[in-house]
Amino acid sequence: MSRMKFYCDDYRCIDCNGCVVACKEAHEIPVGVNRRRVITINEGIEGKQKSLSVACMHCSDAPCQKVCPTDCFYIRTDGIVLHDKDKCIGCGYCLYACPFGAPQFGHEGIFGVKGVMDKCTFCAGGPDETLSENEFEHYGQNRIAEGKIPMCASMCSTKALIAGDASEVDKIYEYRTAKRGDNTSLKPYGWEAYNNGK
Amino acid sequence: MESKTFWECNKAYILTALGLGVVGFVFVGFLMIMDWGYLIQYTMHALIGDTSGVLTAPASELEQMINAAFGPAYNTVAPEIIRASNERQEYIWYVFFAEIMIFVFLYIKNGRVTPTITRPNDTVQVLTSFQRAVIWLNIGMISILVLTGFNITWGLRSEGGDIPRILREFHELTGLAWIAVWLVFTVIAAKDMKGWRKNSTFRHFLPGSFKPSKRVIWFFYAAMGAALCFSGAMIITLHPSSLTHADVIQFRRVLLYLHFGASVLIMFFILDFVYASAVSVKGYLKGLWSGSYPREYLEQVAPDVLDDLKKAGRQ
Ligand code: HEM
Ligand code: SF4
Ligand code: SF4
Repeated sequence: MSRMKFYCDDYRCIDCNGCVVACKEAHEIPVGVNRRRVITINEGIEGKQKSLSVACMHCSDAPCQKVCPTDCFYIRTDGIVLHDKDKCIGCGYCLYACPFGAPQFGHEGIFGVKGVMDKCTFCAGGPDETLSENEFEHYGQNRIAEGKIPMCASMCSTKALIAGDASEVDKIYEYRTAKRGDNTSLKPYGWEAYNNGK
Repeated sequence: MESKTFWECNKAYILTALGLGVVGFVFVGFLMIMDWGYLIQYTMHALIGDTSGVLTAPASELEQMINAAFGPAYNTVAPEIIRASNERQEYIWYVFFAEIMIFVFLYIKNGRVTPTITRPNDTVQVLTSFQRAVIWLNIGMISILVLTGFNITWGLRSEGGDIPRILREFHELTGLAWIAVWLVFTVIAAKDMKGWRKNSTFRHFLPGSFKPSKRVIWFFYAAMGAALCFSGAMIITLHPSSLTHADVIQFRRVLLYLHFGASVLIMFFILDFVYASAVSVKGYLKGLWSGSYPREYLEQVAPDVLDDLKKAGRQ
């Protein structure tokens, strides 16, 4: 079965923040909310600086879904994790549960208290009628319905950020690592490596 | 005067400590999935101002990146938050039911004290309008906080939407306003500060003295209130942006857990207040509203209050 995933290649990411801008622009996201962000470590240290673009990882067994008191998350058959803003009460529990800091909250409620949650939709809109005005207003563009890939990945200048079906993303990852001579595809990577004590 | 044994003097404290000890032991030992070692070390780091949760220097680039992007040690606190917020939905009913049963048992055992009043017009002014304002503001705000707080816990039943969201936002705002009321009430109800009674500021403190069981209630109100105010206000203030996420998220998880715990514990003592004021003694609630009680009422159920008023020259 297909599962939509992002992958950011830290060898290629140059901290240009093009993905962040593309995302904000495409979905008209208000100030203070960043569905995608770029993290840089060892800034300015030659050979050691690394950047990574992160957003919602559309987890297979999503902790945000487990914790939401109003049960407003749903996982599409293609693995994209979405939520219903008409149900969300803005409690922020998804933020506590999410390992990746993806849920975002603007301060828009009464007296500027935090409003409902906003997060990366993999450019797949939300539960409102597909490609309707309502859907755009609540969740932004629905590029998946239009047969396109997410805006961030399509705008990435170095193609560090790739998005699509996990098996396709995996092929690109393996190709790149093999070409670099890393052969890391044989080793566990990411969370699995981290949790197993590297 | 008859001298009391250690048990008689400290019964209320010992029973409270035992009760909380047993519940705490079962809870911590068998139900929680918190990494206690990490939590203790982490709290010490947070106290010196480092809320990031990075306790040891990262050993690899991957770990360094995880620390910078998401905050470290996800598996130490977050799984407990997930467990707690799920199980609260299911099981808090039973906790509240058990708490209410304790008061039903007390009622069956002790009944309702009904003072005999033959001279209803001979009344004594016990509470000043300031004290009444604080007490009723406290009652009103706590009721709002309980309703709007558990409105979040039971979001599954309301299924979310605009009304539960506005109620939740109202919880944040009422919570911030309650901090002042909690503080003032904690101070005016600190009845054991004998020194204060000598000067004119006495009129701001509630008259009478605490029996141990009531001192426990006051203590819990002060301690759980402090925990709720601190955790609630910090959760509101330390709201992370995409750039500050890794620095504060672990701290917020701990704070939310503190808020969860304190909200359940304070409920028992709020229920005790309801029982003491509305059920256990007839006429208590009426006096809380009007500020005065019949002299005979005070002679029969609260002679210490009458004594204090006499000492302060208000009688
Ligand atoms: C008697 C006092 C209070 C009670 C009984 C209470 C109860 C609760 C409960 C039950 C929850 C939901 C937890 C869950 O999901 O189960 C909650 C959440 C929360 N409370 Fe309170 N609370 C009190 C005071 C406060 C105060 C004083 C503040 C702020 C200064 C505050 C701020 C919050 C915040 C920020 C949340 C998290 C949800 C959100 O962001 O809106 N609470 N409270
Ligand atoms: S919001 Fe967080 S927990 Fe939920 S799917 Fe996205 S990355 Fe996973
Ligand atoms: S903020 Fe909204 S989406 Fe997140 S847990 Fe609360 S109700 Fe669910």
